[in-house]
Amino acid sequence: MATLTWKVLPVAPDTPIRDLSKSKKANRGDRVFNTTITGAAFTSLAVLAGITLFLGAKAVPVVQDQGIGFLTTTIWDTTGVPPEYGIAGMLYGSVLIAFIALFIAVPVSMFLAVFMVFMAPVRVSKLLTNLVDLMAAIPSVIIGLWAFYILVPPAEGWQDLLNQYLGWLPLFQNDSGNFTGTPFVAGVVLAIMMIPIVTSVTAEVLKRTPPELINAAESLGCSMWTMLRYVALPFGRGGIIGGIMLGLGRALGETIAVFFVLKIVYDINFFNIIESGGGSVATLIVAKFGETSGDFEVDVLLAAGFFLFLMTLVVNAIANLIVRRTERLKG
Amino acid sequence: MTILIAEVPPIRAEDLTPQRPWTQRPKSFWFAALLGIFIPLLILGGLYATTDIAPPLLLIVFYLPLQLIGAAIAAYSTKGKHGIADSSIIVFAVGATILSAIVLGSMLVTIIVRGFEALRPSFIFQNSVYISPSTPLEYGGIGHAIVGTFLIVGIATVISVPLGIATAVYVTEVRGRAVPYVRFFVQAMSGVPSVVAGLFVLTVFILTGVLQQSALAGAIAYAILMLPTVARTAEEVLRLVPEDLRTGALALGSTRARVVLNVVLPAARTGVVTAMLLGIARVVGETAPLLLTALKNDQTVTNPISDPISALPTFIFDNVAQPYPDAVTRAWGAALVLMILVSVLFTITRFLSARKPRK
Repeated sequence: MATLTWKVLPVAPDTPIRDLSKSKKANRGDRVFNTTITGAAFTSLAVLAGITLFLGAKAVPVVQDQGIGFLTTTIWDTTGVPPEYGIAGMLYGSVLIAFIALFIAVPVSMFLAVFMVFMAPVRVSKLLTNLVDLMAAIPSVIIGLWAFYILVPPAEGWQDLLNQYLGWLPLFQNDSGNFTGTPFVAGVVLAIMMIPIVTSVTAEVLKRTPPELINAAESLGCSMWTMLRYVALPFGRGGIIGGIMLGLGRALGETIAVFFVLKIVYDINFFNIIESGGGSVATLIVAKFGETSGDFEVDVLLAAGFFLFLMTLVVNAIANLIVRRTERLKG
Repeated sequence: MTILIAEVPPIRAEDLTPQRPWTQRPKSFWFAALLGIFIPLLILGGLYATTDIAPPLLLIVFYLPLQLIGAAIAAYSTKGKHGIADSSIIVFAVGATILSAIVLGSMLVTIIVRGFEALRPSFIFQNSVYISPSTPLEYGGIGHAIVGTFLIVGIATVISVPLGIATAVYVTEVRGRAVPYVRFFVQAMSGVPSVVAGLFVLTVFILTGVLQQSALAGAIAYAILMLPTVARTAEEVLRLVPEDLRTGALALGSTRARVVLNVVLPAARTGVVTAMLLGIARVVGETAPLLLTALKNDQTVTNPISDPISALPTFIFDNVAQPYPDAVTRAWGAALVLMILVSVLFTITRFLSARKPRK
C-alpha cells in the first residue's frame, strides 16, 4: 500500500475560539479575568500614547516659541535674550552616523549570516549564534568604555590613512588634522552594536528558506552563489530589510556609546565624516541634561526627545510592516 | 491480471534537509585551498616584515585582493569557473566572521583583564562615600551600585513581568478582537529609545512632583523597556503549549481563567522564567534612562523612593572619561561585574530554552 505520511501541524493558536466570556452565561470569574487581562494588554498602547501626549505637550510650546527654526537651524544659545535653540545639526547627525553604521554593518552581517547558515558546520554555527547573541547583550555603556579606550586610538590612524589616500574625496576631507570625535568613529561603534541585531535576524530568515527549494537548486547544479542569489536572498529579502531597519531604529536611538566617541557640535557636519564633530539627538539630551540652565532648556530637551521618538517610531513601524507583509505572503 | 501498486516510501525529515553538495570536496580541493590561503599570507607576512606600509592598508589594499585571487585560482583549478563566485563569498564570509570575532574577543578580553585589576572584596562590598576619582583602588567600591542595580531591576521586574505575561495571555489565550493591534503596539514599544523612556518618566513623574529622582523612577523607565521583551517572549512560549491541554481542561469543566492559571501558565513555566530573564538582560545595562531618572549617589540607598541612587551602568558612565587612572580602572571593574551579571542571565536563559519540552 502506498503510505504517505504528513507532518501533522498543530492548530494555529490564531484560530478564533468562540468567545463566550461576554455572554451572560459566562462564568463571573472568567469575565473578571478577561477584563483584567484585556486591560493589562493595553499597557503598551497606554505607554506609547503617554509618551506621545506628554512629550508632545512639552514640544508644542517649544516649537511655538522657537518657530520652525527649532528643526531647521543650528543655534544653541542658552544665554541670549530670548534664548534660541535649533536641533537641525543633531537630527542630521543622528541620521548620518546611523547610515555610516549601516554601510559598515550590513555587508559584515550579511556575510556573517551566510557563513553561519550555509557554510559553517552545525556546531560552529551554534557557537556563532550564541556569540552573536552575547554580543547583542553587551550593555551600550560597556561598548562605549571599550570604544573610548581600545577602538578610538587605532581608529585615528585609520582615519589618517583614509585622509591621506582618499582625501581628494569630499567625504574624507580633513583640514584640521584632528581625528577625534568624528562621525566616522561614532558610525563604527554603532555598526558594532548593529551587527548582532542584523546578523541574527538575517540568519533566522535564511534558515527558514524551504529546504525543498535549496535541494531543487542544488539538483539543478547551482553553485552556492547561484543558490544564494536566486533562492535564499529573494526568499528572505523582506525579513532582511526589516532586520536592517530594526538595526537602524536602534542606531538612531543609541545614546551612551555615542556619547563617549562623538564630539557634539551644533553646526551641521554635512559629509566630512572624518572631521571632528557631529551630532546625535539622543546623545545631546544626555550631554545637556546635567547642565541645563532653567526649566525652558529642559523643555527643549524634551522636545528634542519627542522628535527622536517620532523618528524611531516611523522607522520601526516601516520595519515591522515589511517583516509582517513578507511573513503573511509566505503564510 | 496483477495490479501493480507502486510503493511510495514515506518522506523522512532528513530527505528534506539541504545536502549542501558544495561541502563535498575532492582531495585536490584541500590542497588548492591550502595554497590559496598560504601564499597570500606569506606575501602579507613578507610585506609586513620588509616594508613599513601601515597594517590596515596592507590588509585591505594588498592582502584582500591577493586572498580573493588566491581563492579564485584554487576554486577554478578544482571546480571550474562556477567556483569563482563561491570562492569570493567564502573569503568575505570568513573575513566577516573573523572581524566580528576579533571585536567581540577584544571587548571580552579587555573587560576581563582591565576589570580584574579593580576586583577585590572591598571593591564589591564597599560604597563610594568619601571616595574621589583620585582615591587609590584599595578604598571604596561599587557595593552601592550593585545594590542599586538589584533594587531598580527588581522593582522593574515586579512591574513589567505581570503586565508582559498578561499581554501574552491576551494574545494567545483570550484572543480578543484587538490581538493584531496589541501585537503592533508591543512591537512599536520595543523600538522606543531608552533615552525617550527616561524622558517620559521625567515628564510624567518627576517634573510633576509625583516622584523624586529615585530607584522607583528608574525602575518605571526600566519597566517600559522590559515590557515588550517579556511580552513577546512569553507570547512565543505560550504558543508552544499544546492546544490539547487547553481543550482537555475545558472539557473537564474548567473555567477559562482556571485553564490559563492552572494549566497553561504552569505548563509554560520555564518559558515564562526565560521571558523574565531576557527582559532583565535587556535592561540591566541601560544607562541613559537612569541618568535622567535616578541620577547618582555615593551612598548605599535601600529606600526606593527617597533618594537618588547609583547603579552599575551609571557608575561606569561617571568614571569612564575621568583623568585619573584609578577611576578608569574602577569603571572597568564595574564593567566586569555588570558583564558577569549579563553572562549569568544569558547562560541561564540558554540553558532553560535548550531543554526540550516534555512530550
